[in-house]
Amino acid sequence: MGNGAEWQRWMEEAFRVAKEALESGEVPVGCLMVYNNTVLGQGRNEVNETKNATRHAEMVAIDQVLAWCHDHSKNPTEVFEQMVMYVTVEPCIMCAGALRLLKIPLVVYGCRNERFGGCGSVLNVAADDLPNTGTSFQCIAGYRAEEAVEMLKIFYKQENPNAPKSKARKKD
Amino acid sequence: MLQPRGDYLTASRVSQQKCCRTLQMKEHMPPSQEDHDVTAEPRCKRRRSMESESCSWNILPVLSEEASREIEMLQAYAAPVLNKKETSRLLREVSALHPLEGLRHLKRVRARRNRESPHPLEMLLCLTLGKEEGQVPPLSELLPEEKVNCFGLGQPFLVLVPSCPPLTRLQFQEASAYWPTSFHENKQVTEALTGQLFSKEEKARMQRYMEQAIEVAHQGAEKGNEAVGAVLVNPATEEVLAVGHDCRRISNPLLHATMVCIDLVACAQGGGAYNFDSCPLCSFAASVKEAPGIGVTDRFDDADSSSILPYICTGYDLYITREPCIMCAMALVHSRIQRVFYGAPSPDGALGSRYKIHTQKDLNHHFQVFRGILEEQCQQLREKSQ
Repeated sequence: MGNGAEWQRWMEEAFRVAKEALESGEVPVGCLMVYNNTVLGQGRNEVNETKNATRHAEMVAIDQVLAWCHDHSKNPTEVFEQMVMYVTVEPCIMCAGALRLLKIPLVVYGCRNERFGGCGSVLNVAADDLPNTGTSFQCIAGYRAEEAVEMLKIFYKQENPNAPKSKARKKD
Repeated sequence: MLQPRGDYLTASRVSQQKCCRTLQMKEHMPPSQEDHDVTAEPRCKRRRSMESESCSWNILPVLSEEASREIEMLQAYAAPVLNKKETSRLLREVSALHPLEGLRHLKRVRARRNRESPHPLEMLLCLTLGKEEGQVPPLSELLPEEKVNCFGLGQPFLVLVPSCPPLTRLQFQEASAYWPTSFHENKQVTEALTGQLFSKEEKARMQRYMEQAIEVAHQGAEKGNEAVGAVLVNPATEEVLAVGHDCRRISNPLLHATMVCIDLVACAQGGGAYNFDSCPLCSFAASVKEAPGIGVTDRFDDADSSSILPYICTGYDLYITREPCIMCAMALVHSRIQRVFYGAPSPDGALGSRYKIHTQKDLNHHFQVFRGILEEQCQQLREKSQ
């Protein structure tokens, strides 16, 4: 399923999508879904825009692929089983669950997700034995990881106006 | 409803145990007309009628791994205090030498259980860590003379001590059978474990919410979806906010009932990612949507309103017929849900069975989970979709 040069190329595109998220005040994560060397879906975090905390870049991109399958009368199961996902940050526990359910075989990602990571950082949903939750998937980590971390740092330095006020902050 | 006299006589002879079980079931019954009938009669006479009714269920808290496991024991050395007057001095010197860091829950001195013993107290000296099992070393080896004056202590012996502090009353009872421990009881957890946390009225309400979830699960299944239903409730107003069933067949393989409810709330708050026109049963309560101050599209733009309006699902309860999967469980963390009540467990379930996402360390939000509401009917639903 591709090689280093190809991964690099798609990751570059994913980073462009992540930058868009940052500019829109969303968590800077970008995601690309590639099937037969074609991008079928791309997504960035849309949590604030949709007021739905589950609208992570991966979920948005997955919905685009589903729409494509619908428009092209393709069986989503077959398409997802041949898919590579490129994402700037390690998928969270929820997204890792979604990737399993869709039987996506391979994920190439940038930096680790220390807060919510589902591919080893907090839990390893990607590899765990879950016979009733789709299939496990492979991860290739570390592509442009520093760049991905840098974008997250920029984001978290800004105040998230949508997050509930934390108890710690009230004391200030 | 009443059983014939003869049946009562037989039932009462069967066994005391069955009678107790009936009483316990009675505790968890929602209020019904049964509560008004003859109370002078022993309750076991109604055993048969209770069992024939499918509405008997038990609500159980799903606690963290730490709170639900059996406490591990460590081997340690203790010694009898032969001279009681030396106790406080020995305690000071032994504790200085072996502070037992990380085992603060252990009491250092216990009263000897054998009351006829001439030495009523026993003192915990140190763990056996790194020492050979079986052979108890002499006092001089455990407590070097230059550090501790062993006057007043008897021959050391092996004991088992609990390795971590007890979190539940059950763990406390288990732990203190080995060695006395301190216990900071969480009253709410104890009440939940003994089935006293929720009143009859609350349980009746829970049952109604779950019945609604079961109903919508059936309707969703008729359209070819998995038979899973969910109801999102605002416990402060006791209002059902959203009702959703699994939509994976008709629209999207990831639209599990939980994800549907989360997006319905988002829709009502002026956002949302999906259109549920093709699943009219998946809906947000119109009354709440139209109420002033809730669901206004620009609520995020007004800093003052954020203090009164909830952030996504903050403060809400979810009732769902089966235990959510890992995707849905984490979606509930992201959505800041307050409590989840589910009927039947799922094999890969992430709120108790395979993971306990609601108590997962390192995550930024935790919530309470209870299982068992209308478990039997929910279990039947689960089997139906397999």
